[in-house]
Amino acid sequence: MAPRGGRRRRGGPWRFERQVAVRHLVAGGGQTWLTVSAVAAGVIIVIFITGLIFGLRQDMARLLTESIAHVTIEVAEVKPVPLERVPGAGPGPSSSRLEQQAPQEKAIDDWPRVLDIVRAVPGVRLAAPVVRRQAFASRGANPIGTTVVGAEPALQEEVAPVTENLIAGRYQGLTSEEVVIDAELAEDLSVATGDRIRLSSNTGASDSFTVVGIYSRGRGRGEAYVTLRTAQSLFGLGTSVNAVLVKMVDIYAADQAADRIMALVPYEAKSWSREFPRFLDALKVQSAAAYLTSAFSLIASSFAIASILIVSVLQKAEQIGILKAMGARRRQIQTIFILEGLGVALLGSLAGAAGGTAIVYALSLVEQPVRRVGQTPEQLFPVAILPVYIALAVAAAIAATVVAAYLPARRAAALNPVDVMR
Amino acid sequence: MSRWAPEPPRPFWPNGHEAARDGRPIAIETRGLRKTYLGKVPVPVLHGVDLAVRAGEFVALIGQSGSGKSTLLNILGALDVPTGGTVLINGQDLGRLDDDALADLRSQEIGFIFQEHYLLDEFTCLENALMPVTIHEGDASDAQRQRVVGLLQRVGLGDQLHKHPDEMSGGQNQRCAIVRALANAPRIVLADEPTGNLDSTTGAEVFALMRQMNRESGVAFMMITHDDRLARAADRVLLIEDGLVHEVDETLHRPGPGAAR
Repeated sequence: MAPRGGRRRRGGPWRFERQVAVRHLVAGGGQTWLTVSAVAAGVIIVIFITGLIFGLRQDMARLLTESIAHVTIEVAEVKPVPLERVPGAGPGPSSSRLEQQAPQEKAIDDWPRVLDIVRAVPGVRLAAPVVRRQAFASRGANPIGTTVVGAEPALQEEVAPVTENLIAGRYQGLTSEEVVIDAELAEDLSVATGDRIRLSSNTGASDSFTVVGIYSRGRGRGEAYVTLRTAQSLFGLGTSVNAVLVKMVDIYAADQAADRIMALVPYEAKSWSREFPRFLDALKVQSAAAYLTSAFSLIASSFAIASILIVSVLQKAEQIGILKAMGARRRQIQTIFILEGLGVALLGSLAGAAGGTAIVYALSLVEQPVRRVGQTPEQLFPVAILPVYIALAVAAAIAATVVAAYLPARRAAALNPVDVMR
Repeated sequence: MSRWAPEPPRPFWPNGHEAARDGRPIAIETRGLRKTYLGKVPVPVLHGVDLAVRAGEFVALIGQSGSGKSTLLNILGALDVPTGGTVLINGQDLGRLDDDALADLRSQEIGFIFQEHYLLDEFTCLENALMPVTIHEGDASDAQRQRVVGLLQRVGLGDQLHKHPDEMSGGQNQRCAIVRALANAPRIVLADEPTGNLDSTTGAEVFALMRQMNRESGVAFMMITHDDRLARAADRVLLIEDGLVHEVDETLHRPGPGAAR
C-alpha cells in the first residue's frame, strides 16, 4: 500500500516554510534584531565608505577639471625624426644629434569647421575656440609673465568659470579694451578694478586694457582673460585661433572623445586624463580601496550573520527534529532557514540603506567656513549619495546574507530527528 | 533507492501471526530486524525482531531502560535505519524508499507522540495541531481545519485553540500533541512514553484519550510505557528483552485504568 497521494501545495509557494521562518524571526526578538543590526551595519559601512570615497573622487575630479578643458585641440608639435626612419632616405651623411624644431606660430585656421565636427562627436558638451598665448603684463616698469586667454565670455564660463570666482568686478560684458586678471597678478602689479595695465605679446604688439574684474581660484597664478577678437589682434592671428577647448558630459569619456576627434581632424587632441595620468591612477586606487573596504565589511557581517544563524539552528534542533518527524523534507527545513536569512537580509539591508543614506546626507550638510564675502559655502565632507551604490550595497548584503544562511540551513536540514530528540 | 539491504520475505510471524489471521490488514511488520549502534565498541540492540501489528490494534511495548524500545519505535517510524532486516509499514518496505518518500510516509501514514509534547512555542494550539497538514499541503483546507478543531474540542481543548504551549498545562499540551499526531488521519500512531512526564491522573486521562481515538478511528497504536496498568489496558503487550520481542502472557493482559471496553 503506497502513501496516500503526493504533496499538494495550498496557500502559495513555501506557505509552511514562510510561516515557520516568520514566526522564528518574530519570536527571535533580541536575537533577530541583533542579526538585522549586523546586516544593517554592513550596509551602512558600505554606503558611508562609497559615499565618502566616491564623493571625494567626484570632488577632486571636479576641482581639477572644472577650470580646464577636458579635451584640448591644438596643432601638433612637429617632432624630429632620425634620418634612417625617413622613408626613401638613402645612405648618406647622418647625424646622431636630434634637434627640436624652433617653436612655430601654429594656428587653426579652419576652426569653424573643426567646431562643427567636434560638436557632433558623442559626449561632447561644448567646444570653444580660444587664443591662448604667453604675454607680459605691466603697469609701468617690471613686466610680469602671464597667460592671456582670448575667448567669448559666455563659452569661457563653461570651460573654466570666471564669474563665480570673482573677488571684484565683472567678466560678463567684457569689451575689446577690458581685461579680467587673477588676484595674484593684481597684487604683483598693485592694481585694482578700474586701473589700466598693458599686455605685450611676443610679436611685439601691445595694448592697454582696463582691469574690470579680479578673480581667484585659489590655485596660484591664473590667466588674464580678454575677448577672442582682442587676443587674435594682440597675437597677430587674424581670424584664426590656436586651440579649441572641449568640455565633455562625462569627464571619464575624454580619452575616447580625443581619439575620435584625432581621427576626424588634422590636429592633435589631448584628453585631461592623459595629461594627468597619476591623478587618474590615484582615483583608481581610491575606488579600489572603496570596493575592498565594502567587500570586507560585507564579509565580516556575513560571518556574524552565519554565526548567529548557526546558534539559532542549534537552539531549534528539537523543533527541527519534530518537524522532520511530522514529515518535513530536508529541502523544506533548508528553505525555512534560507527564508529566515532572506528576511533578515531584507530588513537589515533596507534599514542599513535608510540609516546609511541619512548619515551621508547629514554629513553632506556640514559646511566649510566661508573665507570671503559672497563665496558659496562648500561641503566640509565631500560625500555623495549615490543611488547606484546604495542599490548595489543592498543587493550585495542580501546576497551575502543568503549565502551566510546557506550553511546553517544545510546543517539544519541534515539534523537527525532521533539525535536531537533523544 | 534502498537505505539498507532488504532481506527476502519470510512467511513467519512469531509474535504477529494472530494478527495476520485476524483478517484486518497488517499495519506494521518487521522481519529479522537488527540494529547495532556503531562506535568504538559496537553495541547490538535489536537481534532480529519479528513482529506484526494489525490495523486498529493498540499494542503496548514494555521493557527495561536501554532494552531498545525507543530504537525499535524510531525504526518503525522511519526516523532511524536498521542495521539489517525489513520493515513494512502498510505493506511498504521502508528500505526501498528515498528520503523524500520516507518524509511523505511519516507525514501521511504515521503520527508520533513523544514523552515531551514538542509543540512549537511560536504557534498556537490549533496551529500546532494542524502542523502535519501545513507541512504536507502548505495550508489546511476548511474540512481539515474543521476536523482538527473537532478533535481538539473532543479532547477538551475547544477553548484553548489560540493559546500558545506556554499558556497551557502539561496535560493540555500532551492532548494537543495527540491531536497533532492524528491531524493527517494516519493509520499508525507511535507513542514513546506519552504519559511519562505527566502525573498519574493526567497520565490516565491522556491514555484513555488515546485508547478512545484508537477505538473510534481504527488507527493502530504502538505505545512504549513503563506503567504496568497502562500496558495491561492495551490489546496486546510486547516485551522487548535481550534484543528480541516477546508476546506477554495473557494473564498479564487485564483491563487497566481507562481501558474499559
